Amino acid sequence: MAGNTSSLAIDSLCDQAREEDIVVAWVYCDYNAQQEQTVINIMGALLRRLVGREIPEDIREAFEEGRRPLLADLMRMLKIAISSLPRVFIFIDALDECLPKDLAEILGLLRDVVRESPQTRMFLTGRPHVNEPVQKYFTNAVAIPISPNRDDIRNYLEMKLDRDDEPEAMNMDLRAEIVTTILEKMSNM
Amino acid sequence: MAQTTSTHRVTVGDGNTNSGNIKDSFNTTVYNSGEDAKIMRWLSPLEPENRHHAVCADRLEGVGNWLLETSEFREWRGGEGGADEAVLFCSGDPGVGKTYLR
Repeated sequence: MAGNTSSLAIDSLCDQAREEDIVVAWVYCDYNAQQEQTVINIMGALLRRLVGREIPEDIREAFEEGRRPLLADLMRMLKIAISSLPRVFIFIDALDECLPKDLAEILGLLRDVVRESPQTRMFLTGRPHVNEPVQKYFTNAVAIPISPNRDDIRNYLEMKLDRDDEPEAMNMDLRAEIVTTILEKMSNM
Repeated sequence: MAQTTSTHRVTVGDGNTNSGNIKDSFNTTVYNSGEDAKIMRWLSPLEPENRHHAVCADRLEGVGNWLLETSEFREWRGGEGGADEAVLFCSGDPGVGKTYLR
C-alpha cells in the first residue's frame, strides 16, 4: 500500500517535471534488500538521480581517485547537486523496512539536506510506528494516514470480480450485491 | 508483496550489469557512456528506477488517487514556504494495504 502511494506521487511529480524545472529522486526500502540498502547506497542512489545527464567534475574526479566514496563525500556531492537545481522532490518509501539502526541516521541526513537546501521537499512513507522518529527529526512534518477508502475497496472488488474464475456463475445482480454487502460490512467495522 | 520483493532482488542484481545508465548517457559518446555508467554504479549499486517500474506495474488503477487530491499533498507539492512544510509523511499499516489492495 505504501509503495502504491509513493509510486502514484512519484509519477505525478514526474509528469510535472516534464513541464517544470523540477527533479524527482526516490528509493523504495525493502526488507529483502537490507544488505544492499546501506545508508551510503541509499544516499548514493538519490545522488544518481540528481546529477542528471552531465556528471559534475567533482564527482568525476572523486571516482578517478579510485577509492570507494565515503558517506561524507556523497552528502557533500548531494548538497552541491541540489544547490544547482531549482526544486527537488525526494521520496523514501517504507522507512520501516530499512534496518532499525539505519533509520535515525537516514532521517538525520535527510534533515540536514532539507535544512541546507530549502528547495527540497521530502515524501516519506512507513508503518505508523516510524511516525515517532520521523516527527522527532522533522517536527513540522505533515502526517497523512493512509488507509483504503470506499472507492479503493470498490475498485479492488471490481477488479477481483472481473477476474472471477467462474464467470458463468456470476450475474450483474449478484455482482452488485457482493460489492454493496462488503462495503456495508467495511463501514460497520 | 512477495512478488514485489522478488522483483526487487532482480533489481539489485541488475546494478552489476551494464544496463543501468543507458538513458542518462544516451547522447554521449560510447566511451563516455561506459565511463558514466561506471560512475553511476560507483555512486550506488541500487537501481530505484527498476523498483519503481515494478511497483507501478502492480498498481491497481484508481486506488489511492485520493491522496493526490488532498490539500496536504497539493500544498506540499506546490508550496513555496521554507523548510517548515517540506516533509510529508504518509503512514499506513501494510496489513490493511496488502490485504485489501494488493
